[in-house]
Amino acid sequence: MEALKNNAFVKKIGLNRILLVCVLIVMYVLFALFSPTFLSYSRILSILNYACFLGFLSLGVTFVIATGGIDFSIGPVMFCCALVSGYCLMSYGVPMVPVMLISILVGLCFGIFNGYLVAYWSIPPFIISMASMNISKGLASVFTKTQSVSWPQSTSEQGWYRYLVKVGNIPVGLFIFLGIAIICAIILNKTKIGRYILCLGSNMEAVRLSGVNVKKWQMMAYVICGTLVGIAAIFFVSAYTTVQPGYGDQYNNEAIAGCVMGGTSMAGGLASVSGTVIGVFIIALLQEGILALGMNKNYQLIITGIIVIAAVYFDVLGRRRKN
Amino acid sequence: MANQNTAVAAKKKSSLDKLGGQKFIVILVIIALFLFFSVMSANFRKYTTIVSILDYSYYIVLMSIGVTFPLITGGVDLSIGTGLICYSLVGGYLISFHNFPVWGGMLVTVLFGVAIGLINGTLVAVMDIPPFLVTLCTCMITRGLGAIIVGGFGITWPTATQPGGWFRNIFKISIDARNKIPIGIIWVLILVAVMSYVLNHTKVGRYTIGIGSNKEAAKLSGVNVKLYHIMAYVISGLFAGLAAIAYSAVFATVQPGTGAGFELEAIGGAIIGGVSASGGAGSVTGSLLGVFVICLLKTGLPFIGLQANWQQIITGLVLIGAVLIDVIKKRREVH
Amino acid sequence: MGEVILTMKGIDKSFPGVHALDHVDLEVRRGEVHALMGENGAGKSTLMKVLTGIYTKDSGTITFEGKEVEFHNTREAQDAGIVIVHQELNMLGHLTVAQNIFFGREFKKGLGIDDKKMNEEAAKLFERLNIDIDPTATMSDLTVGKQQMCEIAKAISHEAKVIIFDEPSAALTEAEIEELFKIIRDLRAQNLGIIYISHRMDEIKVITDRVTVMRDGAYVGTLITEECTKNDIINMMVGRVIYEDPKTHSMVPEGAPVVLKVENLNAGKMVQNVSFELHKGEILGFSGLMGAGRTETARAIFGADPKQSGDIYMNGEKVTINTPQDAVNHGIGYLSEDRKRFGIVVQKSVAENTTLATLKEYLSGIFINKRKEEKVAQEFVDSLATKTPGVDQLVVNLSGGNQQKVVIAKWLCRNSDVLIFDEPTRGIDVGAKNEIYKLMNKLAAEGKAIIMISSEMTEILRMSDRIVVMCEGKITGELDIAEATQENIMNLATREIS
Repeated sequence: MEALKNNAFVKKIGLNRILLVCVLIVMYVLFALFSPTFLSYSRILSILNYACFLGFLSLGVTFVIATGGIDFSIGPVMFCCALVSGYCLMSYGVPMVPVMLISILVGLCFGIFNGYLVAYWSIPPFIISMASMNISKGLASVFTKTQSVSWPQSTSEQGWYRYLVKVGNIPVGLFIFLGIAIICAIILNKTKIGRYILCLGSNMEAVRLSGVNVKKWQMMAYVICGTLVGIAAIFFVSAYTTVQPGYGDQYNNEAIAGCVMGGTSMAGGLASVSGTVIGVFIIALLQEGILALGMNKNYQLIITGIIVIAAVYFDVLGRRRKN
Repeated sequence: MANQNTAVAAKKKSSLDKLGGQKFIVILVIIALFLFFSVMSANFRKYTTIVSILDYSYYIVLMSIGVTFPLITGGVDLSIGTGLICYSLVGGYLISFHNFPVWGGMLVTVLFGVAIGLINGTLVAVMDIPPFLVTLCTCMITRGLGAIIVGGFGITWPTATQPGGWFRNIFKISIDARNKIPIGIIWVLILVAVMSYVLNHTKVGRYTIGIGSNKEAAKLSGVNVKLYHIMAYVISGLFAGLAAIAYSAVFATVQPGTGAGFELEAIGGAIIGGVSASGGAGSVTGSLLGVFVICLLKTGLPFIGLQANWQQIITGLVLIGAVLIDVIKKRREVH
Repeated sequence: MGEVILTMKGIDKSFPGVHALDHVDLEVRRGEVHALMGENGAGKSTLMKVLTGIYTKDSGTITFEGKEVEFHNTREAQDAGIVIVHQELNMLGHLTVAQNIFFGREFKKGLGIDDKKMNEEAAKLFERLNIDIDPTATMSDLTVGKQQMCEIAKAISHEAKVIIFDEPSAALTEAEIEELFKIIRDLRAQNLGIIYISHRMDEIKVITDRVTVMRDGAYVGTLITEECTKNDIINMMVGRVIYEDPKTHSMVPEGAPVVLKVENLNAGKMVQNVSFELHKGEILGFSGLMGAGRTETARAIFGADPKQSGDIYMNGEKVTINTPQDAVNHGIGYLSEDRKRFGIVVQKSVAENTTLATLKEYLSGIFINKRKEEKVAQEFVDSLATKTPGVDQLVVNLSGGNQQKVVIAKWLCRNSDVLIFDEPTRGIDVGAKNEIYKLMNKLAAEGKAIIMISSEMTEILRMSDRIVVMCEGKITGELDIAEATQENIMNLATREIS
């Protein structure tokens, strides 16, 4: 193990990430053994569909967790974005491009709301998350009069938006997701925003006393998260078209699971975008795999919950060892 | 010296005032809301409305009593809402499909709550995982678990006329079709009194406050901090179990997949009632009063023509408002 | 002095990278006050934590009342009769005084707690100690001194046989120290063994019977207080290390311009009408007791905490400072007493910490120019002689002294004119201390203006050109180094303000 740890290649990529990729491969092989449909291309596409919107959520929450905060309103907020913008599309006839902007805007507003209250009013993030979760559900229900919204099918006039996820058999969504993930990685590791977010996640007071406007940068993390949630909503409807008000909670856990599995620490200050990406694929694979094995959504909830607890516990153990 | 003492005494008095003050304000808010809805809607003024407000409040009050304990330790329990549904489903399922006596089903319901509380507490206190994360996960897990155990269908506990329906009379005695006595409020008040005593005058309560106030100091005093930290979550689970019974007694059927959002009402109530979001301070009676604010909003809004979903939004905003007041008060104290 | 009650022999304790205790011995008799002395970081607190079961020792034996013992937590130590009055207060602010004193061993009445009896017992304790505190007062409403008295009352209530006082006088006024000594003499008369940890040489002479000195985690020796002089003890404490020469007169050139002027600064109870001037090239020492308001003054100047009123002038110009950001922009740097919490980002690299206050200068477009960043960090590592394997090393892996140098580099990088050093050598080992002193003198000689807050009298007298003394939030005096002595500083620091 020690030799492996000191290997130059392993050091460069990071042992953690190599292990994650191994887990991903082993899981795929196992599911394929139990359910032969797993080898089919269409199954792979449906996993990628899932990974795509979940990936945006997970990237978003990575920024928030990097500051040492949490946002578990992202699932319902994503639904709120999709419902409000979809309702504009279907009931008010707003064209597709502005509708997408509305979706991102709604996400952004929630990001600003959450970030402002956390950063400038020091309200604990979990309280804000709880409140936002309900506000977004309520808002979506009020706006749509508690009706579900079905976005147009691919064949209809406005159906081009579905090409965002796939064109024919080409998983375009995957490439867009990876592209945005690379941008997120650059923001987190190479720019001032990222540097400040990571530093304040590690020690907020020290950064503040260095003359940095920590409130602004802390809020920024939530704003980035909100924007990505708005984007996630577009990819969600591109893949599944129908959204129902009052739901979306389960995606909180899945997004957080992808993020903490990828090595982002709940204590803040330590985040890995590439880890999050691999983590998201594992979660997406798992969700599809559970269904393929003939179990229903409820098993997904339980298994994801256990995974999050386990992943965070490993993080806690790692920190304990360091101290 | 003497000067200092009077200063200290004066300060102490004012901080006592503050605690009582918040409760006083909450009572005023309750009265104001009640008057507002009564003036706005004739239907609201009816006795049956008041009975139904009370009916809807029992399970939230019970959750709120329980969750006050983890909140005072500086943690939170988000699993109580979906947990409640899960426990109720399992209890009802055993009664309906496995011929459990009603009291047996009730017992299982409560014990299930205690078990989940024990798991939450262990993960938080022994394994050091952040409370909101642990309970967010158990929130999802209980939701899945409840649905799987009952096979995904709604469950109906015995109705008042069926054998075993006696348990519905625990909360409401019917004199005739229209007049019902909401005796549930008596049980709720008794439980509030008991838990208030537990919080203020027993070791469990004292150490709960100690953990929230300064965990390290509590540990250095030789208190088994982990045990009492777990205990806070067990209490929360126990009361979620009791709330499950109240819920089953009041509502006709219990649907799997619901329950998300109940926790917000309970936690929101506790915080409105003066529990500090950063731990250390709070009272059970305050939580009771806070919940009534939320219940009044919840039942009152439809009477003035706002659809039920507005209540979700308003509850969220009220929660943030209550925490904001707490934050601002603390900032003032510092300066 | 009675027979031996407690013996610690060959106690050894290592933490990763630090040999904290190197075969330390300590012996305490009944009816004696035994001083435990040593510089910061000498290992006194670690030794006491081993004794009370907070840390487990690696080797060595503890014999208490003739039996070998090993405590696994404070509770076991308490039950055996060894209690500690901590330096940092361990209070539960939300609870009352009586609830605090009996926390963890409440009196029972039926199923509940007998608060009435606890209040009565607490009142009895205070009566016995002759202190006037209301047992039903909320703990967070008391002054620091009163809270300390509650800690002592709590210790005594344990039926203790050995009581450890860990720097109990650091926050007390002269009158309160007198009270404390009276209590300690009482306890000695009751045949208790008392371990007294303090920095203050005068107290040691007044109150203790024997002195054990530690240095760099090792046992140096034990003396009988009556038979030794202050210098004997100092020599044992300091040992081979030769500090920067003490200043005998101010090194600031005549007519050096005023860089920072503070006028009538008010910020809460701890900062009242503070006014002073700081000259170019000057080291201005801030002396006073713990809780005198020195750190609060520094934080208010720096904009870290809000202030109610007061004017700040930089180089003669009035400036507005509401946030640390403003202060940094006006060329003020603040080095906190608590580096780990307020100074460094431990999980980040030396380079990242160095450029934290100046990140803007290392941007190429929107990207951080890591090459440039690391080059500058390396320059500071070289010029400050920071011991680190490289600038990409995480700061958490550096020693306290080197962490302090990284913080200094951060502010030098920002080219700050005014540097506020708050307890610059706290938690830094003895050898590295001298390097920090040298560095501060060098910076002053280069024309930086330095405020140095320190609780160590020797440090104040060794480093300052001028000394400001604070007490209970007010400046009670200003002394030139030529006229300053330990005595006249203490007089000002404990002056009762009417």
